[in-house]
Amino acid sequence: MQPYELPLTAAADAIRARQLSPVELADSVLERIEQVEPHLQAYVTVTAEHTRRAAREAENDLAAGRHRGPLHGIPMGLKDLIDVAGAATSASSRVRADHRAQADSAVAARLSAAGAILVGKTHTHEFAYGLTTPQTSNAWDTGRVAGGSSGGSSVAVAAGTATFALGTDTGGSIRVPAALNGVVGLKPTYGLVPRHGVTSLSWSLDHVGPITRTVEDAALVLAALAGHDPRDPASLTTPAVDYRPGAGTDLTGLRVGVPRNYYFDHVDAEVEAAVRRAITRLRALGARLVEVEIPMTRYIQATQWGLMVPEATAYHESTLRTAPELYQDDVRILLEAGELMPAGDYLRAQRARTLMRQEWARMLQAVDLIVAPTVPATAVKAGQETITWADGTVEDVSDAYVRLSSPANITGVPSLSFPVGHDAAGMPIGMQLLGRPLGESALLRVGHAYEQTQPARELARAA
Amino acid sequence: MSSAELTPSEAARWAAHAGLPLPADRHAAVAATADHIHSVVAVLRELDFGETPPAPAYRAEQENHDAAV
Repeated sequence: MQPYELPLTAAADAIRARQLSPVELADSVLERIEQVEPHLQAYVTVTAEHTRRAAREAENDLAAGRHRGPLHGIPMGLKDLIDVAGAATSASSRVRADHRAQADSAVAARLSAAGAILVGKTHTHEFAYGLTTPQTSNAWDTGRVAGGSSGGSSVAVAAGTATFALGTDTGGSIRVPAALNGVVGLKPTYGLVPRHGVTSLSWSLDHVGPITRTVEDAALVLAALAGHDPRDPASLTTPAVDYRPGAGTDLTGLRVGVPRNYYFDHVDAEVEAAVRRAITRLRALGARLVEVEIPMTRYIQATQWGLMVPEATAYHESTLRTAPELYQDDVRILLEAGELMPAGDYLRAQRARTLMRQEWARMLQAVDLIVAPTVPATAVKAGQETITWADGTVEDVSDAYVRLSSPANITGVPSLSFPVGHDAAGMPIGMQLLGRPLGESALLRVGHAYEQTQPARELARAA
Repeated sequence: MSSAELTPSEAARWAAHAGLPLPADRHAAVAATADHIHSVVAVLRELDFGETPPAPAYRAEQENHDAAV
């Protein structure tokens, strides 16, 4: 096994035991980038010189007995919406051609302090306003979409060109590409991870979180990210928690909610079968399955759009007037049309969110967490715009990909996506666990228990 | 087209009202997209909100409470 193939936890253990040096790991990841990046296009920029220099410093620190924790010496990718001092935050957009971040974002600063090493900035669907990331290819089949908007981060982690990465998630943008590329994605509770220095799509829906190879890896990264920062007005003052799940797989007594509506409607048969097999596995580990009714499903898309569309337009107000031609067509038209939404629609969406949060809190009193597919279909072919369901219904690909993930953005509850198999074409299938606010530990415990019952996953080999 | 749908010239006027002058070649596309967005969010008018307040991003009271503890 080459160092680039190691999940974060295994690499961290090897570094701590001095069996692997950060320089060996960084060189291995950079070589992997040279090999596959021309086919995948996961990165906007690769910071090879910085990576090698930081790896040497980490090696010196470790030799001198200064070990900063499990992320020390680990190569990472950051979605190119996340500020790193002195580097451009391109948002994968021509609008940001001359951008230069003055300071680290809160999350970049925390990861740097934890010893993680930047490999590069990863592609996003322009300004995170889309679900495909067209610049980047799927790690399992370069003819298929990466998913988005954190497509570059997910492909990099899946292909071995980053040991972990960060994404952002406004309607599913961590979990959708994680599911489509066969990696783990965690959207934390709203406000748990500070967003200072991260380009916004929609302030009241945006989250930052980890994309990793295993659930345990996600726990290690979350521990470095979580915690109050007064510069993010939504930041929670929650005390620090050790998120690392224990070794046990016994889920006796855990009440797992299985939706009887919404989450299995218009879902591909192979996706549903894989998710139901995984649910059966959780029951075999001791979990008690409880049927739940998802509330207010008729209003999910309306609430998501009613919040996101005007907030995104407001963020781009200035550049939409000074340089509209620099946006891609699909983003520009949404920003322009957003100018026409009355405040009444936005307030109705805000009030609908209040009702939805109340209803979800009530539902989550009866169960410890909810299981569901992450996305209703695996990665579609690049350029495919619609999905036709068995009953003849035609759905826009982006609408389909966001449909099952946006409830967690509206309500702010945590959602963890992890792989539960492949379809007949070999494309990965993801399942999500949705928990109570600040219930990340329960999600990570259950996801880790499931993973321990499965064979270790291999890296994607499309490129 | 229903009476609630925007014509291209109405979309241009609304955008101008919002401070965004639109080139003529974008009027029709913006009208169509705005109409689609409207058709999605209009369903929220069915809800009886009563005294329900909006859910903002800020949690100032909670922050102050925590600080006092």
